Amino acid sequence: MEGLAGAALAIALVGLGLWTLIVRRNLIWKLLGLNVGASGAVLFLVSLAHRPGARPPIAGLGPGPSADPLPHALVLTAIVIDFATLALALVYVIFLTESRRTQDVRRLEREEGEWPERLGGSR
Amino acid sequence: MRALAAVALALLLGLLGLGVSGIFPRPGVPGGEEVAEAWGAKNVVATIVLGVRLWDTLFEILVYAMTIAGVKLGLRRLRWEEPLPPVAETPLLRRSADLLLGPAAVFALYVASSGHLGPGGGFPAGAILGTALLLLALAKGVERLSAELREPTLEWAEYGSIVVILALAGALLLLGRRGTAYFIAANLLIAVEVAIGAWVVLHRFALSRGEV
Amino acid sequence: MGTILFAALALALAVFALTQRRLLWGVIGVGAHSLALAGMYLFLAAPDVALTQAAVGFGLVTFIYLLALRRTGKLTVVAAETHPLLHQDGERITGLEWEILSQFARRLHRDLEVLWVPRAEIPRLLRAGEADVGAGGFLARYGEGLLLSRPILATRLATVRLGPGPVGAVAGDQGQDHLPPTGRTYEDHQELGGALARGEVGGAVTDLLHLHQWTLHGDVAPTETADHGATAFRFALAPGETDLLEALNELLAELEASGELAELVRRYVG
Repeated sequence: MEGLAGAALAIALVGLGLWTLIVRRNLIWKLLGLNVGASGAVLFLVSLAHRPGARPPIAGLGPGPSADPLPHALVLTAIVIDFATLALALVYVIFLTESRRTQDVRRLEREEGEWPERLGGSR
Repeated sequence: MRALAAVALALLLGLLGLGVSGIFPRPGVPGGEEVAEAWGAKNVVATIVLGVRLWDTLFEILVYAMTIAGVKLGLRRLRWEEPLPPVAETPLLRRSADLLLGPAAVFALYVASSGHLGPGGGFPAGAILGTALLLLALAKGVERLSAELREPTLEWAEYGSIVVILALAGALLLLGRRGTAYFIAANLLIAVEVAIGAWVVLHRFALSRGEV
Repeated sequence: MGTILFAALALALAVFALTQRRLLWGVIGVGAHSLALAGMYLFLAAPDVALTQAAVGFGLVTFIYLLALRRTGKLTVVAAETHPLLHQDGERITGLEWEILSQFARRLHRDLEVLWVPRAEIPRLLRAGEADVGAGGFLARYGEGLLLSRPILATRLATVRLGPGPVGAVAGDQGQDHLPPTGRTYEDHQELGGALARGEVGGAVTDLLHLHQWTLHGDVAPTETADHGATAFRFALAPGETDLLEALNELLAELEASGELAELVRRYVG
């Protein structure tokens, strides 16, 4: 029951995030959509690990089935790595905004901008 | 274009739905707790992260460190040239931030060092410590805090903790020693690494803009 | 039960965040959404993941988004200096349009940057994406292909005559549409006023605001006035910036409804 609700929410979040990623034209909006989609993926794994009536995967919490610990372990590091890669992506967005003065992908694709000297000369 | 995107999305979501529908058999959960007991821990997740699948964790840490280095290199060229506005002196806020850092650090330490017994571990502890430093920076101003923290020392601590983690993991893999002390040491080192990385990212972003 | 509650909360926050128009609200919504997700993980028997998600998703991620927004958000305004609307007063810039633009920038969570340019340059700069907003007593001409905001201040366009000689206008201004073929163009209203005072031109096509300024300073005393009809000062935006236009119009409508715009007009224009 709980696992199913989690999986349904995860699918909805992935859809919502990917839709934002595709439709929005601003780069930071795209990253926000990616963020929500990634959290949906995390939730999907966690809710797959859940069993009806499961308890946390810690020894000594009593009888009964425990949740599958492997997806938890995979997801734990992924959340932290998400933060680091997001920071790197934002640095690139800052670079683009500094040099081309826009965050709109359509305009970024259309225009050939000058690459400023202080960002490392010619491209 | 939008129609194509919608079709692709619907297909993907359908695939995900198929995964949970129960058509495909799901593997039974192996008894993780005996494994955890054998490693000298109670938290099965911590046993997997630091024991059974140590290689994954090591490379995740490397990816994290490399990403932080990328942020550092990238923002080095984007310093904010204009003079920084002075941070307003608010003694009350500063004092209370100083007072709050202690408990926050102790909590992070607790989360890291009890990671093998209950929920917690190096990654959340590092994130908690990073958030605490961020709140401190909000109260005191980034420049003052960064002067107090001494960036080069931090850099050494960051890379040093990576090296120690790698050495520890190598020793573990070679010698096959396992036990509580190993978990505590590894969790603490990971916490230090993650917290310093988070602080470096926040500090660089704040520097490139000139304020928090 | 708790799972359903947190699931509904997380979904509602995600939808709220991703359907916003202002980035700031989107970032805050995503932060709250990840906190709700952390609660959800607790009910899914994953306390480790919940702890990590709460610490990373709510604290660190939200904060670097905010810092990146501060860094990248610069609202560039190109304007012709126009005395009571948008002008330099010593070190700082002030005027009626400045008040509106700084409120707009604050609302967008962006810094404001004003570049002074001749009136005729504004459409080109906006179309090239060098700037976001054109201002400074902007009267639109036919065929410029720019987006225009709601009117800020109504005015009228007129041809004034002081004496014999050709008629002058500001290059690129709406007044150029009413200029006879023998007319001369000047870069901005200051030069046009100077030419009028020197007697270089015998008349000018201009708006009532600038005419009022000139008569106030005693530079000109019109003898004959021909009205060309009502027009209004507006902000100009680059074509395709419909989101920005909507936000600006929203702000102007709010200012109008609250009477703040009338108050500002009284303070700056009189």
